[in-house]
Amino acid sequence: MIRYLLKRLFWMVPLLVGISLVSFLIMHLAPGDITNTEASFNPKASEESRQKLRELYNLDKPVIVQYGLWLKRMVKLDFGTSFASHQRPVFWETKDAEGNVIKGMIQEALPITLLINVLSLGLIIFAAVPLGVVSAVTQNRPPDRAITLFVFIGFAIPGFWLALMLMYWTGVVHDWLPISGIHDKMSAWGQMWDTLTHLALPVFISGLSGLAGISLFIRNGMLDVLHQDYITTARAKGLAENTVVYRHALRNAMLPLITILGLAIPGLIGGSVIAESIFAIPGMGKLFYDAVLMRDFPVIMGILTIGSALTLLGNLIADIAYAWADPRVRRGVM
Amino acid sequence: MHNKWRQALANPLALSGFIIIFSILLLALLAPLIAPYDPNAIDVRAILLPPSLQHLMGTDGLGRDVFSRMLFGAQISLLVGFIAVGIATSIGIVLGAISGYYRGWVDVVIMRLVDVMLSIPTFFLILAVIAFLTPSIWNIMIVIGLTSWMGVTRLVRAEFLSLRGREFVMASETLGARDARMIFIHMLPNSLTPIMVSFVLGVASAVLVESGLSFLGLGVQPPQASWGNILTDGKEYIQFAWWLSLFPGVAILLTVLGYNLLGEGLRDVLDPRTNNTR
Repeated sequence: MIRYLLKRLFWMVPLLVGISLVSFLIMHLAPGDITNTEASFNPKASEESRQKLRELYNLDKPVIVQYGLWLKRMVKLDFGTSFASHQRPVFWETKDAEGNVIKGMIQEALPITLLINVLSLGLIIFAAVPLGVVSAVTQNRPPDRAITLFVFIGFAIPGFWLALMLMYWTGVVHDWLPISGIHDKMSAWGQMWDTLTHLALPVFISGLSGLAGISLFIRNGMLDVLHQDYITTARAKGLAENTVVYRHALRNAMLPLITILGLAIPGLIGGSVIAESIFAIPGMGKLFYDAVLMRDFPVIMGILTIGSALTLLGNLIADIAYAWADPRVRRGVM
Repeated sequence: MHNKWRQALANPLALSGFIIIFSILLLALLAPLIAPYDPNAIDVRAILLPPSLQHLMGTDGLGRDVFSRMLFGAQISLLVGFIAVGIATSIGIVLGAISGYYRGWVDVVIMRLVDVMLSIPTFFLILAVIAFLTPSIWNIMIVIGLTSWMGVTRLVRAEFLSLRGREFVMASETLGARDARMIFIHMLPNSLTPIMVSFVLGVASAVLVESGLSFLGLGVQPPQASWGNILTDGKEYIQFAWWLSLFPGVAILLTVLGYNLLGEGLRDVLDPRTNNTR
């Protein structure tokens, strides 16, 4: 297990280097000098802020040196300070000259986005598994047809549109749920419930397409497993159908789910842009969207890097969980 | 191939997808003829009118006819979908073919590149690139294309790897066929089926991404109409004008559903493996 872990960790190094290269390339995409593009979009961009950009990314040095310095900053997780928000540190808190602690922008936004993503993943697992199982067990009969229809619609529905419709329906017409923000000002006892009601719609929106995908995945996995010999044996022994389905088949069908959930993480993190900017939730997605609108390059590069690192971390956790759940992987049989 | 298409259309899923896509394609192509108004004509006497016989889908905040804008928006979403996925598919075919045919260190490098691209959250990547460029219809086509080629690459590589072991490929190799002949005459035509399926499914997600970007104001720029940016107005006027939100959303939903149904239907018919399980 330890050897497997080390091997897996070692694999992350080339990926991290690759991510740093891709993000470096993106910075240099802008025609000419990024200081020009910034200036051409923002009439207020002064010579001073251009100078700051040049210093931050060392634009006066040779490309190789620039990349080396960028890599060094990435390793130290130093993404500089925001242009737009009064010099706030992009990633983590720092102390200013008078010793006051200034919170980092990502530091404040990240927990919110993580909370939404964890809740979405929870929703996906708790709803998708039963849907997929029912669909497989009733293959080609009405329940399966209905679930398949739901899956196709879940794939096709634009999240931001559904968000608008639900906001209108639950917030404007019926006043069931709050339509934006994460909590109102109130006493501590109601705060948790309040945060949950604020997060209900965003979690549903960001989890929906994953939910559709995973229930289809469970359905197909179950159909594969249900046709295998050991299931026939279990039935022949006279086991109850529920035992066969839930204890024998589902366990095997759920194994690949771990990997798939790991792969769903970049989609969830990326999808947070739409859900968070519609519902005005101050998470990573909203922060990123605002940074893009204001061309706040340090924030953009910081979130891009941290988002990718989180994805790698998610995949790593998924692989470890898989190795833990499936002894064949752990012992290197597969 | 023609036979396969006919077979595919006998599949109810694929057929319904095909009908949806075909009708939208027709409406988009005929937009200049069908559209009752100029999509960009501002009419201050007709602001935010609900749907009626004069304005089938009502008017927006500037008095423009929503039905006409929807028709021209259909052109945009189809154009973006096809060109973006065309770019992605071309990149995917080239890289996947190189990777699967030559194997060795080229394969390792290309596959690691795929891994890297897959570990950057796609929507963040797209937005980051757009932040450094000007948002315009051409830029978003290129950006979506350049950030969505990884799936096709893996697919083509896997096809090539499995084709390499087949007898007809080995026979041709033994006869001394050159690399280009091997790739273009023997292997690529035999990988077309999954490429086609992934193209159709790719258009579906490109349409979703484009509408999302335009909705956020980072895609197709007004006054040019796109379903996404009509919805931006819809959000603005959600309390007074439901028609601005309803129609574009339904249009996106139907289009994406159509491509997905067509893609899945094609996969069912063309891929012998899934035929057994369903």
